[in-house]
Amino acid sequence: MSYHSSHRLSHHTIRHNIAVTFPGLLAVIVASMLSLLLPSCHEIEEYDNDPKGNFEALWDIIDRHYCFLDEKGIDWQEIHDRYAPQVYDGMTRQQLFRVCSSMLDELRDGHTNLSTPFATSYYRKWWSDYPQNYNERLIQEHYFNFNYTSIGAIDYGLLTQGVAYMRYSTFASGIGDGNLNYILMLMQSAVGLIIDVRDNGGGDITNVETLVRRFISEKTLAGYISHKTGPGHSDFSEPYPYYFDPAPTGCLVWTKPVIVLTNRGTFSAANNFVSIMKLLPNVRIVGATTGGGSGMPFSSELPNGWGVRFSACPVTDALGQSTEFGVEPTEGCAVDMDPADILSGHDTILDFAIALLQSSPD
Amino acid sequence: MTLPRLTSLIILGAAALTGATSKADDTPLTEPVIRPVTSAYTIEGGSSHIADTYLTPLRYSGWTTALSYERMQAMRFDPERWVMRLTTSFALEKTDNPSRNASVWGVDANVSWGMMRRFHLSSVPSLTLAGGGSAELNIGALYSTRNGNNPVSAKASATVNITGYATWNFTLWRLPVTVRYQPTLPVAGAFFSPDYGELYYEIYLGDTSGLAHAAWWGNYFRLDNLLTADLHFGGTSLRLGYHGNILSTKVNDIVTRNISHCAVVGVTGEWMTLNRRHPISKEARIISALY
Repeated sequence: MSYHSSHRLSHHTIRHNIAVTFPGLLAVIVASMLSLLLPSCHEIEEYDNDPKGNFEALWDIIDRHYCFLDEKGIDWQEIHDRYAPQVYDGMTRQQLFRVCSSMLDELRDGHTNLSTPFATSYYRKWWSDYPQNYNERLIQEHYFNFNYTSIGAIDYGLLTQGVAYMRYSTFASGIGDGNLNYILMLMQSAVGLIIDVRDNGGGDITNVETLVRRFISEKTLAGYISHKTGPGHSDFSEPYPYYFDPAPTGCLVWTKPVIVLTNRGTFSAANNFVSIMKLLPNVRIVGATTGGGSGMPFSSELPNGWGVRFSACPVTDALGQSTEFGVEPTEGCAVDMDPADILSGHDTILDFAIALLQSSPD
Repeated sequence: MTLPRLTSLIILGAAALTGATSKADDTPLTEPVIRPVTSAYTIEGGSSHIADTYLTPLRYSGWTTALSYERMQAMRFDPERWVMRLTTSFALEKTDNPSRNASVWGVDANVSWGMMRRFHLSSVPSLTLAGGGSAELNIGALYSTRNGNNPVSAKASATVNITGYATWNFTLWRLPVTVRYQPTLPVAGAFFSPDYGELYYEIYLGDTSGLAHAAWWGNYFRLDNLLTADLHFGGTSLRLGYHGNILSTKVNDIVTRNISHCAVVGVTGEWMTLNRRHPISKEARIISALY
């Protein structure tokens, strides 16, 4: 089989053209050889899969990606120097886990976890050092006599005082516009709405938007998000403003007073929800300072297959203020639960909110 | 390739092809010229090695598979010297981390079109060289099964490439064989990358600045190597070969590597259509794109 029988190029022409084209072919050949060399310019740090290698990999991941080192005044190098000597060849996986998780605890961040087949590290002091300020059964029993309605992660009902109550236990569970229409319609006779996000540990931020849209009538600045632009501790992008639009036409919008109940267990996406609601007119935050968790977490992993999660993208409120350490209640609305009230079947924070709505329904 | 042998191909081609090649023999040259389309349908399978520091600092290894289509034809304006090449492919890959407790899936769709000037060595008539350029679009994504808010690393690029091929025709125990080596090397273009620690959620919120990057060898290096042997069994040919691809990018301190080595198997053939109003002249000269 041949190309064809009658190509008519002269020998001279062929020689000339090949001379012209050889540089191009030469470039391809050179590039083929360069292909073995050039990728080496795009270095990827490699770590040994031994205790020291895994420790260094974890330290580097946090060093390059964690977003609150400067904000929290953490000397990460000093922490490395303090923990590195505790790592040695031959230590067990459990021993390595304890050293690594202790090092991560230095970040004081509920969004930071080290996941292994036998344990997941978890920094608990962001809530364990504070009063609980919430008792789910107390409300279910003493305020509703267990006669409330549940849909997804939302329990709701009308309190005898003419106040609407809605508890959203986790933003990990979605809620539809139809569900919200139904809930708000049933409770529209109330003088005000209490949204209880105590012990709401967060979830999907898009569910925050779905709920917030019911309390705004125009495009609203929700906050600012930024990200790291490089491995340096202060390499951040300009904060980018993000907005929420009102609920679509046909959706009910709540215009009466709203009170959001918070405690230290209000974290992450729930913390974000509170930071947005707090700046809306007609909304007050009652209870205790939230748990924070304003860094959107990233995931990564170590050579031994352990997973690590950490805060990577800081999100601020609409004033540009960090909420990593929590959102404080509205002035004059900081309330802790009184143990004596609990014994008598009362939720001090909820009672405070009910009284607030009844005293100033408008 | 002789004209009688082509008859069977013509009949096959008439059923298979439509307007895209219906004017294949309509050439302004005074001498009738037939420009058959060389089509190749191939599947590929082999190993894949992925590293993407947006997703993980570790290197993943696994398998890759792809479906590819290649279409070559001598160009109408100068069929002796110029050929066009259209390729499209879809690849799927799955790789695991060294501990094999997490996976990264990859998908990639690709289309390219290029022109090549070919040269024939009178001293080695069985050898053909060609060089030229192509434009290429790539779109794909890597998906990590373990990551929460950063599970995906999207890939998109538009590049201008230099490409070329060398073919060698010979017989192997009376079986005609065409061996081809075709490298393709992007030299310029643009590609997509998020910022170092940027969430796709931020892009979703509207922060689309800084996502497109000019590509050059320093930040975007890719080399595609295709080595095939077409074994000509009558009207169709069996294509066997090797397809290797090296991609290495570094932008915004994010390094991506994707290296694959695949075996290639497929069928090729030369096709054209009949036009009853303009029957092919027996004097027509056949200018194949590849063989």
